[in-house]
Amino acid sequence: MEELVNQNGAVTKQFDPAIDAEIDMSLVRENHGSETVGEISVDDPRVTCRNVDVFYGDKQAIFDVSLDIGKNQVISIIGPSGCGKSTFLRCLNRMNDTIDICFVTGQIIMDGQDIYDSGLDVVPLRASVGMVFQKPNPFPKSIFDNVAYGPRIHGLSDSDQHLNEIVEKSLLKAGLWEEVKDRLDQPGTGLSGGQQQRLCIARAIAVSPEVILMDEPCSALDPIATAKIEELIDELRENYTIAIVTHSMQQAARVSQRTAYFHLGKLIEVGETEQIFTAPAHKLTEDYITGRFG
Amino acid sequence: MNEMTGGHTVKAYNEELNKINQLVIELGKRGLDQLRRAVQTLKDEDTKQAGLVIDRDRELNNIDVKADEEIIRLIAKRQPVARDLRDILTVQKVIIDLERVGDEVRKIANLTIHFYDNGKAPPSNEILHDIYEMAEFVDEMLSMSLQAYTELDLTVALNVIKLDERLYKEFRSALRRLSTFIMEDSRNVGQVVDIVLALRALERIGGHGKNIGGHVIFLVTGKDVRHEDLKMINAKVASLI
Repeated sequence: MEELVNQNGAVTKQFDPAIDAEIDMSLVRENHGSETVGEISVDDPRVTCRNVDVFYGDKQAIFDVSLDIGKNQVISIIGPSGCGKSTFLRCLNRMNDTIDICFVTGQIIMDGQDIYDSGLDVVPLRASVGMVFQKPNPFPKSIFDNVAYGPRIHGLSDSDQHLNEIVEKSLLKAGLWEEVKDRLDQPGTGLSGGQQQRLCIARAIAVSPEVILMDEPCSALDPIATAKIEELIDELRENYTIAIVTHSMQQAARVSQRTAYFHLGKLIEVGETEQIFTAPAHKLTEDYITGRFG
Repeated sequence: MNEMTGGHTVKAYNEELNKINQLVIELGKRGLDQLRRAVQTLKDEDTKQAGLVIDRDRELNNIDVKADEEIIRLIAKRQPVARDLRDILTVQKVIIDLERVGDEVRKIANLTIHFYDNGKAPPSNEILHDIYEMAEFVDEMLSMSLQAYTELDLTVALNVIKLDERLYKEFRSALRRLSTFIMEDSRNVGQVVDIVLALRALERIGGHGKNIGGHVIFLVTGKDVRHEDLKMINAKVASLI
């Protein structure tokens, strides 16, 4: 990956020089015009995003998004399908790097470090920004090995006993320990959907992340498993910063302190969840959350 | 009320909101009709009709219960948020006000029975005059509040609120006039007390009309003016009309 300075002075991280050459950046800039309603900054940010653009080849998916994610806060990212919410979420741990034609401009700063800095190693980044996906995806290994996998490859444990402690602590935090403590050697794939998702959360927690990204973590779960995950999200907030993409308005209202509404790749409105769900300031937000979005 | 009920992607949601809205309008129409009939029974000295007015209040209660059930069902099913949530909770308050109009009207019909079905000498037209005057005034307020709700008309809603101050002055001056009947002949005390209670019922009906005006302002503007004085309400709303 190369780093270039474009005509506007912004640093561009270039993934594919051939595609980059095809894009007229001045045209892209003219298409912006998005002004986010609400306060994008928070007093104590864990992640600071400024003027983030994301492109898939010549198609721009995210337009000039600036947003802070506060420490020990849950932020919900909502919006209709294709609005760029998952794309934005994937920017936060550079998961978009895995897509050849995708490139990101702007700044995403975590603990004073631009995560798109060319010198940054993405492996520790992805350890400190864990991710939980829509469908539970445990490794075809034992419950123990699923959780121990991260600490092993990142060299986080110095002994078997320490590794056991990490696994137990992670499963405890994920609210799964009591249910699996007597069958840690059994395959993770044998658990129920809700348990598998909590196992994935335990796996993410095991490498001591600062931020946990959740991309529709409950969409494949039943209401009881969903309630357990939501309860867990609230407990995890004490130690982690969480960004969650969800299609469920009620879930966003229940679990998050702040909510960001995306529409056609633009951040339309961001604010306290209470305010967004009782008196949204932007008509697009209101139309979406009240089900008037055509 | 299309502004309030329409526009949802799920058409059934619009229909459910519309159904509740129609129940509110029906409740309002019936409340106003009951008021007119109750006052007429006094004029006609018709105790039979007065009994019917009292019986018919059950129909208003039934609509109130039905509207409540619809609202509960809608909240459970649709989980309204933002404007929809504000609207539905406000509509519920309008329903409460209208149901209470029915209760107050019953008091007036009871007065007819009390005056003309007890074998005692009925009150003179002169002493009843204030009831008729105030009933007309309150009729106007209630009609305006229903119009304001049906058409979501801010101007009419504001005018109802303005009329409430005049209503209170009318009520006070009626009390002063009635006190002269007692001073003239202390045997009038019983009838005057009954009439004061009827005037109080009418004054409350006007108050419910005023409340509905306030609810309409909230529905249209999102501004809560329930506990504001007229000057403040004017300042908040006048620029939006």
